Amino acid sequence: MGDIGDSGRGAHGWRRPRGHPVWGLQQRWLRSGDSGQGVTGRGGCRRGVPGGRCPRGARGTRQGQPPPLSLTPVTSQAVPRVRPGPDATRHLHTTPACLKVSPGGAPPPPPPPPVGCPPPLMPLSPQTRAARVRVGKGDKPVTYEKAHAPHYIAHRKGWLSLHTGNLDGEPGAAERAVEDAFLRRFLYGTFPGVLADEPVLKRRANLLVVCAVLARGLAPAKLYFLLGYAETLLARFYKCPVRLELQTLPAKVPYKYL
Amino acid sequence: MDPTAAHYMFQDDPFLMPRNAANSRLFSLSKESGRNAAKYIIKQFPQYFDKTFAEPNIPCLMPETFTPQIEGVSEEALKERIHLRRVKDSVDLFDQLVQAGTTVSLETTNSLLDLLCFYGDGESTPEKEKEEEDLEEPGVNASEQKAPKRQFQRGSQSSGSRWRENNNAERIFKIMPERNAHSYCTMIRGMVKHGASAKAYDMYIDLLNERHKADVHTFNALITAVPYLKERFLERWELAKVFLNHMAQQEVQPNLLTFNALLKTLRRCGGVGRSMSLLAIKEMEALDIEPSLATYDHLLFIFYRGADLCPSGIISEVLDDVEKRSFTPQDPDDGMDFSISALFKLGWKANFFGTAMQVCCDLKDIKLAYQLNKAMEKGDNWKFLDMDRLNAYWSKFFSLLCMMEQIDVVLKWYKEMSPSHFYPTPKNILDLLQALDAANHLEAIPSVWEDMKQLGFNRRQDLLQELLSLMSREQHPEEIQLAFAKCAEDIKAVYEQSVREQALLEWTGSALGHVALLFSRAGRTQDAWNMMERFQQINRIPTDQVMEEFLNCAKQTNCPDEAIKLVKLAAALGLPSSQRLKSRTEKEFELSEKQK
Repeated sequence: MGDIGDSGRGAHGWRRPRGHPVWGLQQRWLRSGDSGQGVTGRGGCRRGVPGGRCPRGARGTRQGQPPPLSLTPVTSQAVPRVRPGPDATRHLHTTPACLKVSPGGAPPPPPPPPVGCPPPLMPLSPQTRAARVRVGKGDKPVTYEKAHAPHYIAHRKGWLSLHTGNLDGEPGAAERAVEDAFLRRFLYGTFPGVLADEPVLKRRANLLVVCAVLARGLAPAKLYFLLGYAETLLARFYKCPVRLELQTLPAKVPYKYL
Repeated sequence: MDPTAAHYMFQDDPFLMPRNAANSRLFSLSKESGRNAAKYIIKQFPQYFDKTFAEPNIPCLMPETFTPQIEGVSEEALKERIHLRRVKDSVDLFDQLVQAGTTVSLETTNSLLDLLCFYGDGESTPEKEKEEEDLEEPGVNASEQKAPKRQFQRGSQSSGSRWRENNNAERIFKIMPERNAHSYCTMIRGMVKHGASAKAYDMYIDLLNERHKADVHTFNALITAVPYLKERFLERWELAKVFLNHMAQQEVQPNLLTFNALLKTLRRCGGVGRSMSLLAIKEMEALDIEPSLATYDHLLFIFYRGADLCPSGIISEVLDDVEKRSFTPQDPDDGMDFSISALFKLGWKANFFGTAMQVCCDLKDIKLAYQLNKAMEKGDNWKFLDMDRLNAYWSKFFSLLCMMEQIDVVLKWYKEMSPSHFYPTPKNILDLLQALDAANHLEAIPSVWEDMKQLGFNRRQDLLQELLSLMSREQHPEEIQLAFAKCAEDIKAVYEQSVREQALLEWTGSALGHVALLFSRAGRTQDAWNMMERFQQINRIPTDQVMEEFLNCAKQTNCPDEAIKLVKLAAALGLPSSQRLKSRTEKEFELSEKQK
């Protein structure tokens, strides 16, 4: 276990800058073989749980899982995690310190990436299940959108809903989220069976643009009927102009088979 | 503007883009019916749509409240129901008020009469109409059976249901303690609108007896009703003159609609109409009333649509006037149809640009057509043509262009106009082919065939025949011939495939001959022979030209077997030319002994 005083090589032999202005000298790197115990002695979990028992319990390492080790700074003291500034955007998506690696496991180290390559993105924890299609027999076609987990957003995926509610000082993010949920259900029901992919919702000032990709399952006249119906109904419902932009494909496009 | 794109109301997607006029109409109408479905849902469940959270509130996106707020039997409640256009409710409320003994003011009664006369004793909304039908006593007269057809145009009546005997309007009119001029006028207008012209005339006589004055709208209605009152042209004109004289006596100022109504009547007055209409126009100018598009449309119809087309310079004067002005709709007959769904309800409408273009086509005058085009593009005038009329207008224009203009101009317009402005009709394609033929520009035919396939005309016999005959008439240079042969192959595929819904196209002798010829000229001997074999199937005989060409082809490609097969076929069919073919084969080919 090296301090920052060592050559600064992380677990993967990758050069890290020394004395980073934000991380300072209190951080150190997790390396292979490190059970991740810092001050607290628990398996990487930094939460101060009164009573001393973690409700999740200790977990044995899963065999065959890729090691969750990454080039994350681990505070040696229980200071709040400081997010680095915008010049290190990729690190926004690297894992914060809440790794649920249990002691006793010694997962094999991942192969070091070549120099100059950005670090691989890692999810929150190996046990997260959000928005992931689990690997199956290999007969399930999965679109590009579904094949990628949410930690790939802004790296390999875009956003499905674009609005300014999440910017600093802008109101209405929660309302937009509720509206989005309703809109997606509405569209799923209005275009039964022909929606090839998740619709993208774009808000520009007052206007709501719904961009949907459809398969060619219905006759064009029927699609136009549903289009006129959806536009009018949604406009009256949300009291704003709604525009539906449709694109048709011969069939759903699979990215891979899981 | 992108000339290859469809109208902006359609989605920009190859599956969803309409390829011909029928599809374009279908898609726009289905979109509109989707909107209507949404409006129906909103009307059924207004409670889910009436939250006002928009700032500022947008009233057009809120559900409309149609339920009357004021309850009870009072004049206020009656006024409210009249305002909400609930015909049956207001009539019931009126009856209740009268039975209770309260006097209803003249004004309110007049507004009730207005409502009844406007809707002709039917309801304002379609679903209520159905309910109303069930509630009324059955079998009063034919008008009830005709009520569901209220939406459709019938014969020459302008709109709506028939005027029943002793319906609510008449009943209320009779029991009114006092009537003023307005009551009479309303009744007259209602009767004319719903087809009871004779009654309207009687009512007018009553009005004169009571020494009331009618207003300008009533006179307009009466003038419109003249063709239904009298049969002979001169009598019609005399009656119209009577009304106009009364108007002058009662010092009622005529307006634009008066003159338009007069011209509309004169349309049905034949020769009398022609002479009198010019007087009407002069009167209009003297009164300083600007004519609207409907005026011009009536004029053009009177002068150019009659049985005997006497040439007159009216159209150029009309176009000069029209060019200078940007029109606004002032007359319902101006041909303005903003929403497509209104097309069903409004039935036949005067249509200036369509009529004018038809006249230009009849006169075969291309300069006038260009002038008309410019007039249409000026200002707001394009709004007077809705989608159907637009297609008809451009279609006629294109036919005229094909007839009169040089081929490069025609092709330039063709590229620009279809499919963005209009979708060519089969007649347009035929005209285009003829123009290409006249200009000796036949190498464009394969691209025309591609367009035909896209438009969905590839199964029309007449177009296919024309195409084939044009392609096979003369010998062409090599690559054109190859292109023609590919077209011929496509056409052959069209004849042979049987799509499930469509009937199989039958080969005709000439078509088969042309296809064989084209294959022969391109050197495709095997395909040509396949064609020749089919002749027997359809019991037709190939022409001599076809046989000669086939022999030429066989000679070029050096297939003596084919030549012999041909001779055998000719002999089998018992053709007189078989001898000649045989000798020619022997002469031109080097045949082995067995083949001889």
